[in-house]
Amino acid sequence: MTVAAGPVAAVRRRSRGPLGLRLRRAAVPYLFILPFFALFGVFWAGPIVASFLYSFTQWRGISDPVPVGLKNYVDLLSDERFFTALGNTLWMAAGYVVVANLAALALALLLDAGWMKLRQFFRTAFFLPMTISMVVSAVIFQLIYAGDIGLIAKLLALVGVEGPAWLRDPTTAPYAIVLMRVWRTMGYYAIIYLAGLQAVSTDLKEAARLDGASEWQVIRHVTLPGIRPVALFCVVLATISGLEMFDEPMILTQGGPGDATLTAVMYVYQQGFQFLQLGYAAAASYVLTLIIVLISIAQRLVLGEKDR
Amino acid sequence: MTGRLFARRPQDPPPVAQMLGLVALTGLLGLVLMPWIWALVSSFKPRAEIMSTGFLPSVWIVDNYVALFRDTLYLRWLFNSAVVSVSAAVLGMALSAMAGYAFAKFRFVGREVLFWIVIASVSIPPFTTVIPLFGWLAKLQMLNTYPVLILPFAASAFGLFMMRQYMSTLPDELIEAARIDGCGEFRLFLTIIVPLARPALGTVGILIFISSWNSFIWPLVFMRSNEMFTLPVGIAGLNSEQMAEYGLVMAAAIVSCIPMLTIFFLMQKQIIAGLTRGAVKS
Repeated sequence: MTVAAGPVAAVRRRSRGPLGLRLRRAAVPYLFILPFFALFGVFWAGPIVASFLYSFTQWRGISDPVPVGLKNYVDLLSDERFFTALGNTLWMAAGYVVVANLAALALALLLDAGWMKLRQFFRTAFFLPMTISMVVSAVIFQLIYAGDIGLIAKLLALVGVEGPAWLRDPTTAPYAIVLMRVWRTMGYYAIIYLAGLQAVSTDLKEAARLDGASEWQVIRHVTLPGIRPVALFCVVLATISGLEMFDEPMILTQGGPGDATLTAVMYVYQQGFQFLQLGYAAAASYVLTLIIVLISIAQRLVLGEKDR
Repeated sequence: MTGRLFARRPQDPPPVAQMLGLVALTGLLGLVLMPWIWALVSSFKPRAEIMSTGFLPSVWIVDNYVALFRDTLYLRWLFNSAVVSVSAAVLGMALSAMAGYAFAKFRFVGREVLFWIVIASVSIPPFTTVIPLFGWLAKLQMLNTYPVLILPFAASAFGLFMMRQYMSTLPDELIEAARIDGCGEFRLFLTIIVPLARPALGTVGILIFISSWNSFIWPLVFMRSNEMFTLPVGIAGLNSEQMAEYGLVMAAAIVSCIPMLTIFFLMQKQIIAGLTRGAVKS
């Protein structure tokens, strides 16, 4: 015991050290995170808090904000366009989450199959649309959807059918936008699902097969439960991005026809930067934030680990 | 490898089904690539032919590309996008490596809370931050400047998350050994940690580059003149101003895809590793 006490005591003494040295050592991690958090504070955390405070003011941009209490939130309650925007957003996001995830999962299952050839090639090729911006994909899809000169219209014309003007018809425009989003991101989610599928133990699958399980039963009872965390990740991510949809409707439809594709984030943009009602826009944005947070929590509860 | 195209293990579906699967995949792939092909073809069409019923141009013309570089500020937007995205990526790599290292290898008061705050910020919708910043930056007369598009992207939550993840896999013994040798903390970071973290750094750099390159809302709000637009805002502008100039817009779209596609093909491995790492481990 006395032999061992020597070095241990020395280490202890060293780690205590004189006060100046101890302080300097304690400061090290803070110095390392300082640059990141300086920017994070100015461009993310600060504005997020400030936005909350501004949501209780009337703020026209040039002049200073004037406190108005809960007025913005009360006004929002009777703002029909805001509810239209929220409704569109929820509906389009739900459609997007379901279709994108199912398509990606099906694609990943197919790519994961033991007999699949050219797996790498397909994985890469399906990911390609994700490398371009939403703006560019929207611009390109304009020439797919356009009523008279679009690719779909031209193809339909070949068989003598006159399709609708997909983006100018309030019943089809939301679907057209959602489908375009699925096109752009399906490969991305498929890659994540595929990585999850490949992490599922092959031993477990083999064991199930030896016990006489059919291929479908293996997928249903071994593979799918194994990718639950990955599915949660994809669903939460798709939900957030779906609820924050802006670029595509902004470019393809400007929220129209009527307000059929007006999303919540577009509405915030209009209020804030076209009508310069920045306080009101901040309030609308905070309502959307709250909705996003609540939905993410609900998804975690439903899809998350059962044993927690 | 048996050499047969459809080698079959007991659990595999019959060759016909495998064949159908491949055909379906190829068909789907055709659908996925179609919009690009259509945009490419359209960019070589004279204006009148975009409006007509045919599919292929009767004569392939490059007028749209000539007009793009001659009559618009396209090269300037391309330059702006490059400056902003490269700067954000380089700065972002440095900041997230430093912060990620501290979060992975030090214990300090506030560590959990700070990390949690950064991760939570990801779900905040875009205009929540943009609204106050617009007011502040307007007062500081900083609208229409590059830093406004560089600095926010350099403080990337995703980058921090990924670097912390990677740094925590580095062995503690290595760091301890360097300290016992009397290596200063910052030199230790630069000479030992950074070289080891190179793969993760590459991934973080690329992902920040992509998100900055593709970003629309920030430059839309903060860049107030044509000369300061980035590609997405410039292209969106062409698209709304000259409604009928589809050929020109398609040429603009096609050219803007080239840098990203090049980067993707060169660095595919890092990109895909980066995208899946976070998902499978969290």
